[in-house]
Amino acid sequence: MTELLVNTVSSVLARIGRTAESVARDAGQMAILVARVVRATATGQVALRDVLTQLMSVGVGSIPLVAVTAALSGIVTSQQGGYQFTNSIPLYVLGSVVTAGVILELGPVMTAIVVIGRVGARITAEIGTMKVSEQIDALHSLGRDPVAVLAAPRIIAGMLAMPLLVGLANFIGVFAGLVAARFAVGLGADSFLYGARLFWHSWDLLYSITKGFVFGFVIPLVSVHMGFKTGGGAEGVGRATTSAVVTMIITVLVLDAIFPPLFLN
Amino acid sequence: MIEYIDVHKAFDVPVLTGVSLSVETGETLSIVGPSGTGKSVLLKTTNGLLVPDRGDVRIDGVSVYHAEREQLAAIRRKVGYVFQYSALFDSMTVFENVCMGLSDGEARRARTPEVLRKVCDSLEDVNLDPALVLHKQPSELSGGMRKRVGVARAIVARPEILLYDEPVTGLDPINSAAISRLILEIRERTHVTSIVVTHDIEQALEISDRVALLTHGKLRFVGKPEAFRASSDPVVRAFADRQAAAEAALQLVERGDDDN
Repeated sequence: MTELLVNTVSSVLARIGRTAESVARDAGQMAILVARVVRATATGQVALRDVLTQLMSVGVGSIPLVAVTAALSGIVTSQQGGYQFTNSIPLYVLGSVVTAGVILELGPVMTAIVVIGRVGARITAEIGTMKVSEQIDALHSLGRDPVAVLAAPRIIAGMLAMPLLVGLANFIGVFAGLVAARFAVGLGADSFLYGARLFWHSWDLLYSITKGFVFGFVIPLVSVHMGFKTGGGAEGVGRATTSAVVTMIITVLVLDAIFPPLFLN
Repeated sequence: MIEYIDVHKAFDVPVLTGVSLSVETGETLSIVGPSGTGKSVLLKTTNGLLVPDRGDVRIDGVSVYHAEREQLAAIRRKVGYVFQYSALFDSMTVFENVCMGLSDGEARRARTPEVLRKVCDSLEDVNLDPALVLHKQPSELSGGMRKRVGVARAIVARPEILLYDEPVTGLDPINSAAISRLILEIRERTHVTSIVVTHDIEQALEISDRVALLTHGKLRFVGKPEAFRASSDPVVRAFADRQAAAEAALQLVERGDDDN
């Protein structure tokens, strides 16, 4: 019995140790990747055309899905708030709840989730396929740095596009919440905006956009890193993509939890 | 001149266990051997795609592994590499793929007539009609055409050394013969130093000045094709005979298919 307990505990500890080692190794490799991206950018190895192509893909291509997600987030927040506030709290407070909820939380996080699913997974699968089909080796052999050609344009595009997407999601989410409040609980636009202004801090918008910038850096960084370390053929690409999506979602949610104590207190 | 000096490489198990070999300028050397003996691994150590655990590779006296960044870039510009499955960039057209073989500066001037001429010349060198393939995606090409585009990309910058990794894998006998002819033509025209990794002993004997047999991570035989044919070494004989037997069996099967 004691032996079984010791074996179970040592097995759990070994698994924790392996996971910690793997996380530390990935973190180290990503730090090296960031340093190489900075060097490639600073030495002018990154083609503007590649950055613009990725901006189209990450930014413009994500607009419809981000708009739909943001609108639905605003509508749901407004309806749920209306249901809870009716007959208990002045309804104009709904304007503040929707605005703060969308700008501080739902806008950046929902946009990040959309970009992870639409762009992050694609980047890992694309670079992973290039890795297993020797296209990355081909870049090396042609004297091209894969970090300059593949990683840097995607990370730069992510950092530029995400804050803009978050800004757009905030606007659409609040507007959809305003319209939903009118139909769900009969709250007029004037009252909604009065409530929104009552508890408004300009800092909230900067906070939201900063979140977008950080998520826009982390999502392509993780997805590129996972793509580069892909091995093992088609199955390996599938494994890397799944692993990248899980890692990106957890990373975004952990960062989201770290933001308030750092910036809102 | 390319020198491999006591090259060792292991992944989970030892793959190369002390390979030493010199390839003279302008020479064509084929490395043959059973699958999994490290032929492609040895080729990839030539331009630094893989780093040996021990030993060194020198090109014209410069160590590939101790070279500065700029020196390594210069070495890689000297070396063209033809990958086993072509490794064409899927998202690019044939023109853009071949352009990637040019220097950064030339690739940035991709729309100039001078660059277009170089790309077209290179495609013509591998017997492809630029008008037909220039704007196609790799997915629109046959296996043989993809191989040729891979060769065109490798030779567009007129390298001094060409490395071929299994150039006829996956090709039918007609396309295999065409690729072998192409390797000879390129060599005749450009006097390039070539290393060909292949499992096809007939191709190796046909196109090479020397043949090297790699077994169990070591070189078992290095010499002229005639010496390979005449070798009394039982391992060399076993490899050549097994290959001959396999080819004979394949011919029988093909003949049987024809009869049906």
